[in-house]
Amino acid sequence: MVRKIFLSLFFLSLISFAQNKDGCYNCHKDVVGDKPTALYSEDVHFKLGISCADCHGGDRTSDDMDVAMSKERGFIGVPKGDKIIDVCLRCHSNEETMKKFNSKVDVSQFKLFKASVHGKSEIATCVTCHGIHEIKRASDPRSPVYPTREIRLCSKCHSDANYMKRFNPGLPTDQFEKYKTSVHGQRILRGDIKVATCSDCHSAHDIFPANDPRSTVFASNLPTTCARCHSDASYMRGYKIPTDQYEKYVKSVHGRALLEKGDLSAPACNDCHGNHGAIPPGVKSISHVCGTCHALNAEMFSRSPHAPVFEAKKIPQCEVCHGYHLIEKPTDEMLGTNTKATCIKCHKEGDKGFEVARQMREMIDTLVVKINKAKEILYEAETKGMDVSDARYQMNDVPQILIKARTVIHTANLDEFKETINPGYEIISEVTRAGLEAIDEYYFRRWGLGASTLIITILVIALYLKIKQIERRK
Amino acid sequence: MAKLGEKLFNWFDERYNIRGFIEFMSHKSVPQHRHSIWYYFGGVSLFLFIIQVLTGILLLLYYRVGEDSSYESVQFIVSKVKFGWLIRSIHSWSANLMILAVFIHMFSVYFTKAYRKPRELTWVTGFLLLVLALTFGFSGYLLPWNELAFFATKVGTDIIGSIPWIGKDLLKIIRGGEDVTGATLARFFGLHVAILPGIFTVILFFHLLFIQIQGMSEPPEWEKLPPERRKYIPFFPNFLLRDLLLWLIILNILAVLAVFFPWELGKKADPFAPAPAGIKPEWYFLFMYQTLKLLPPKVLFLEGEFFGVLMFTVAGILWLLVPFWDVKTKNGYRNRLINLIGLFVLIYMLTMTILGYVLS
Repeated sequence: MVRKIFLSLFFLSLISFAQNKDGCYNCHKDVVGDKPTALYSEDVHFKLGISCADCHGGDRTSDDMDVAMSKERGFIGVPKGDKIIDVCLRCHSNEETMKKFNSKVDVSQFKLFKASVHGKSEIATCVTCHGIHEIKRASDPRSPVYPTREIRLCSKCHSDANYMKRFNPGLPTDQFEKYKTSVHGQRILRGDIKVATCSDCHSAHDIFPANDPRSTVFASNLPTTCARCHSDASYMRGYKIPTDQYEKYVKSVHGRALLEKGDLSAPACNDCHGNHGAIPPGVKSISHVCGTCHALNAEMFSRSPHAPVFEAKKIPQCEVCHGYHLIEKPTDEMLGTNTKATCIKCHKEGDKGFEVARQMREMIDTLVVKINKAKEILYEAETKGMDVSDARYQMNDVPQILIKARTVIHTANLDEFKETINPGYEIISEVTRAGLEAIDEYYFRRWGLGASTLIITILVIALYLKIKQIERRK
Repeated sequence: MAKLGEKLFNWFDERYNIRGFIEFMSHKSVPQHRHSIWYYFGGVSLFLFIIQVLTGILLLLYYRVGEDSSYESVQFIVSKVKFGWLIRSIHSWSANLMILAVFIHMFSVYFTKAYRKPRELTWVTGFLLLVLALTFGFSGYLLPWNELAFFATKVGTDIIGSIPWIGKDLLKIIRGGEDVTGATLARFFGLHVAILPGIFTVILFFHLLFIQIQGMSEPPEWEKLPPERRKYIPFFPNFLLRDLLLWLIILNILAVLAVFFPWELGKKADPFAPAPAGIKPEWYFLFMYQTLKLLPPKVLFLEGEFFGVLMFTVAGILWLLVPFWDVKTKNGYRNRLINLIGLFVLIYMLTMTILGYVLS
């Protein structure tokens, strides 16, 4: 501790000595009185004793203006374009230099930035975001990249449709407007800097387009990005929301599809909650959110007798049976009247819904049993060497019918359900018949062979005896 | 009833001299000795050929040649047509058994020297019938247009392309183009059901005619035997009934093979698909195919494959002409060289065929 205080005092005395000796600053402040010099007194670099000459070149020790600002002494004037980056990089990419200032700023920023969408397109340089002569630490509320100011900094370009057209006409420009409607946006407007701002999700220097797998908001990276805050119980303390969403999501059918199988069509956090306008879906909007992908199920549910009842009682629609973050692959167990079925959460024995659920489940189970039986029969026929390719081909339609029937249960309409599932029963009975006929044919062939072999053998014996008889007679 | 039969017999006899034919048949005899068993393989080959013709005609009722219909029609035959599976299976099995019977018949004639004067032309026609039977097999193999047949035909016909100067043109003529296509299929079908049966029937007619005129060959050692020690059995009914007995046994074997080992159809040919591993021709071509495979790329100044084809052609011609250059046997002397050559050919064919199966 004593060592730290001593070091700090040493630096402060060094800085004040250096500034007293800075001809550029003194002259521009006292004689010229320009704005950059006035702003620079509050700059983080000024406070660390970095002179104007360190960026602009020249000789800060000379009192003669012509000498101090001569090309011979390295004066470059106002750096432009890539020169700006070169000036910043001289220190910010040099670990040794940064160490001298006891800085913890990452020296790889430029490398990251150059690979990013902004760096590649040469849209922005360091000063575009950090300012020029009034650069503050990111943790300083006056810094343009401080959380409460950062959103406005980014939106300066990203909300300007005319400006954005020059680089990416397809990119929306309403992010800031949406962000203001989100929980994150509303909180930050009230000064809560713990909530996510642009750089929290998109990162600061290494920003990539959302469809770039290196991006922190790329579909399969997004759950981890959100989880950085939302799964941190200590960070989230005070918000009174659970922190097990990620844990549940990775085990869900959606999480597995996206993170294990790499199926980018599976939803990540933003697909249900929105991205810039992130907000938990309300009870009424759940079916609409799920319905963006599960359109047929949502449409069927909307015309089911459940829809008006759920709406009146403010019951979250899909969520009641399927859950939310931990959505598992639906099984037939969920339907019907047994203990695992979700239907019995509301329906009791004797009511119409209970009976419909029972019958639907029974019909699906029966079809599944019949399918398995038919498969066994076809397999047996095939192992007996019989051709049942036609029946196998017919069978291809049955899984599709079963999927349709499992979808139609969302209507809770028994007639519509029967109309969907019955063709499956017809196909299966035809396939079973074809399979059994093939097996019968197999046995017919065996018996036919047996009979013909017997007849031929009798003929052979008779002929043999006849030959013997003829030869004996001679 | 008996009187009606007699009347009918007399009606025919009056017009076609049936009694004379029976008289001829009853005097026709077959030598009886320790090698008599080999006489029956000619009859077995003929029986299997008759089965080929009958089942082939039945298959023709449903078979539709074409890239889009050959495979489908065979599939229809084996799955939908009543007893279609049996007919196709018997056709395929009897084709293989017929070639086997013809080979046995040929080697038995060779080793018993039955080709010697005056039966040179019977040998020549018999050899031609073997070549035609092999061509029947090769052309018929492609007709179901399945994967194995397609690639085996491709590999088989490729060999023709190795012949210098004329190989490429010959290949085009045989395939009906650069590659094995629907045009090849149409050509092979025409060959299999029209051209070959026509030629085969004519040559078979002469082959049988020569046998009828000259009778069965007697073993060379009989020439030194006194006539009373030579044994004969009447052709009718003794030999014919024995023939019939063997035919019935063959029919039984065929039925068992057709039911227990039905000829598989496999996958439909796809010219754009890669050739499946281990493609090889039918067993009766395997000795030639294996030889060509084992030959180095260059033999002397010739392409290895062409050298092989040339050697087989020369060997085939020498084999065809054996009654003419085997002077010793013709003049009544024992010719051990003939036996050694025959044994070498037989062992060579068997070894190469086994290698063909084992090495793949």
